[in-house]
Amino acid sequence: MADTKLFINGEWVEPKSGESFPTFAPSTGEKIADVAKAGREDAVRAIEAARKAFDEGPWPKMSGSERAGYLRKAGEIITSRQNEIAEIEARDGGGTIKKALFADIPGAASTFNYFADCAENVADVEERPASPFPPAESIVRREPIGVCAGIIPWNFPFIMASWKVGPSIAAGNTVVLKPASFTSLSAVEMVKAVEEAGVPAGVVNFVTGPGGSVGEELAQHPMIDKVAFTGSTEVGRRIMQLASSTVKKVTLELGGKSANIVLDDADLDLAVSGVLWGTFFHNGQVCESGTRALIHSSVYDEFVSMLVERAGKMVIGDPLSFETDLGPLVSPSQADTAERYVKLGLGEGAKLLCGGGRPEDLAAGLDRTAYFQPTILEADNSMRVAQEEIFGPVLCVMKYDSDDEAVKIANDSIYGLGGGVWSANADRALGVAARMRTGTVWINDYHMITPGQPFGGYKQSGVGRELGEYGYNEYRQIKHVWRNTSGSKAEYLHFGALSAALS
Amino acid sequence: MLVTGTPEAAAVVERSARDRRGALTFTLGTGCCESTAPFLYEDFLVGPDQEQVGEVAGVPVFAPDYLRHMYPDDDGMVIDVAEGVLLESFSIETEYGVRFVLRGR
Repeated sequence: MADTKLFINGEWVEPKSGESFPTFAPSTGEKIADVAKAGREDAVRAIEAARKAFDEGPWPKMSGSERAGYLRKAGEIITSRQNEIAEIEARDGGGTIKKALFADIPGAASTFNYFADCAENVADVEERPASPFPPAESIVRREPIGVCAGIIPWNFPFIMASWKVGPSIAAGNTVVLKPASFTSLSAVEMVKAVEEAGVPAGVVNFVTGPGGSVGEELAQHPMIDKVAFTGSTEVGRRIMQLASSTVKKVTLELGGKSANIVLDDADLDLAVSGVLWGTFFHNGQVCESGTRALIHSSVYDEFVSMLVERAGKMVIGDPLSFETDLGPLVSPSQADTAERYVKLGLGEGAKLLCGGGRPEDLAAGLDRTAYFQPTILEADNSMRVAQEEIFGPVLCVMKYDSDDEAVKIANDSIYGLGGGVWSANADRALGVAARMRTGTVWINDYHMITPGQPFGGYKQSGVGRELGEYGYNEYRQIKHVWRNTSGSKAEYLHFGALSAALS
Repeated sequence: MLVTGTPEAAAVVERSARDRRGALTFTLGTGCCESTAPFLYEDFLVGPDQEQVGEVAGVPVFAPDYLRHMYPDDDGMVIDVAEGVLLESFSIETEYGVRFVLRGR
C-alpha cells in the first residue's frame, strides 16, 4: 500500500494496479516512502478528467481575475508551509536545505503570484488595424490551449511543478502533471496546495509512474493538446516524436553545456566565485549549469589556481544541515555517471585539477555512494567531456586568446541554454552576449531565473520559452477574428474573384 | 563498433515486441541523465547521424556518429538488463520495472 496517491478529478485515488515504487533519500540510501505507481489506465483517467474539466467545467470560462485569486491563494499556502516543504524537497532530492529555502519554495510561490498577475493583466483581446476595404474590423483573441501535460525532472521538483502548473492554469488550461519518479514527494505538496486553494476538480491532475507508460501516454494521447517537458534531450526528442502524431503544441526545456566566458578585464575574484556558483550550485544538476569555463589565456593560470583553491572550501555533507554547501547527487547512478565521465575525460587527455571521485571523509550516517566531489578538468572543447551533458559537479576549463575565439568555442555545442560573460566593460560584455547562440546570457552573474523573464533554449536545448509574458502566451492559442462591416453586398467585390454570379 | 545483447535483454526485447504493434528500435543515448544508455522505442525516427551497430533479438541498435568513432574496433559492447532502477526515460522496458544498460568490455 503506497504512502502517496494519485490526484484525479479532485480526488486522491489509488492506482488501478495497487502497485507502488520506493523513493530514497540519496544522502543515506534509506527509503523515505512508497509512491503510488500509476499505469496507462490511470494516466488516461487523469487525461479524461482534465479534458472534461476543460470542455465542460467552469475554469476556462472564468475571468482572468477570478483564476488569479486561486493562484495567489495557492502561493500563500505554499509560503505558509515553506519549512515543511523545503525539508521534504531536500531529503528526497538531495538538494541542500539552503537551496530549498532560498530558491525552490519562494521561487514556486512567486511563480504562482507572477502568473496570477498575468491572468489578471495580460490582455485577452487585442484590436488590430482595421481593413479599409472591404471594411472589416480585426481583433486577435488569446484563448487557452486546452489540456496540457506537464512532465518534470528531479533537479528542482517543486519549482518545476510550479512552472508547469502555474502558467497553464492561469491561462485557463487544465493540466496533468507527472513528476520524475526519483522525486515525487514535493510535487504531492504542490498538488495539495492547489487543492486547498479551491481550484475546481479536474483542473490539476497528478499521476506518478514510469516514463515508458505514463509519460508515453501523456505525450501521445489524442486528448492532450500541449506537452510541456523539462528534462533530458534524449527524452525530449522522443516526446517531440510522440506528440507529432496528433500535432500537439510542444515546449521542451532540455539539456545544456553552457559556457561561462571570463574576459581578460574581468574582476577575477568575482568571476572565480561566479564560475563556481554557475557550475556547482546543486552539484551541477541544473539544465543551464555553466559546465564549461572559458578563460582568457592572460589570466588563466591565476584564475584557475584561485578556482581550485576556492572549490576546495565548499562543504559536502548532510543536505538538511545549514552548514552544508553540497549534498548528494540525486542518486548513486548519477554519481556513477559523473565518475564514468571523469574517467572518459582523463582517457581523452583531460587533466584533473581537483575532485574526481566520491568524498572520503563524509560524516557518519551519510552514504557516500550518491556523493561526488566538485571536480574540475582542464579539457579541450572537442572532448566528449566538454560536449556531452554530464549533469553532475564536473567543470571543464579551457583557455582562449580572443573574444572571437571564446564565442566560437562557446557556440561549438549542440546545446544553447545558458551562458555567462564576466567583464568590467558592459558594452564589450553585451557584444559578446549578442553573439552567443544561447537562450540566456548572464553578465557578471549566473543562474538568475525569475518568473518575469523568458527562459528556454537554442538548438537542441529546447523548443519554446517558459516564464514571462512569453511563457504565459505559449499556454494560449491565437485566434484572429475578422468582422466584415459592409453596409451592402455591393461592397463584396472580392466575391467577383470567383464569379460575377455571386453579385 | 558492435553491440549485442544478453539473453536477459533479448527476453525483455521479445516481451516488448509482443506488447507493441509498431517497429522496435534501440538507440544509444548521448549524455545527461543516463549517459550512453540504450533506449528501446516503438516507431522511432532514427536521426540522420545514426547508423546501425548491432541487433538484439532482431531489433536493430543505432548509435550516433561520435560514439561509433570512439569505439570503432570495440566488438564487445553488450546491452544488459538492470532491475528496479531508473523509471524516468521513455524506454519501453521501464513499464516492466527494469532498465536496459550498456556495458563495455
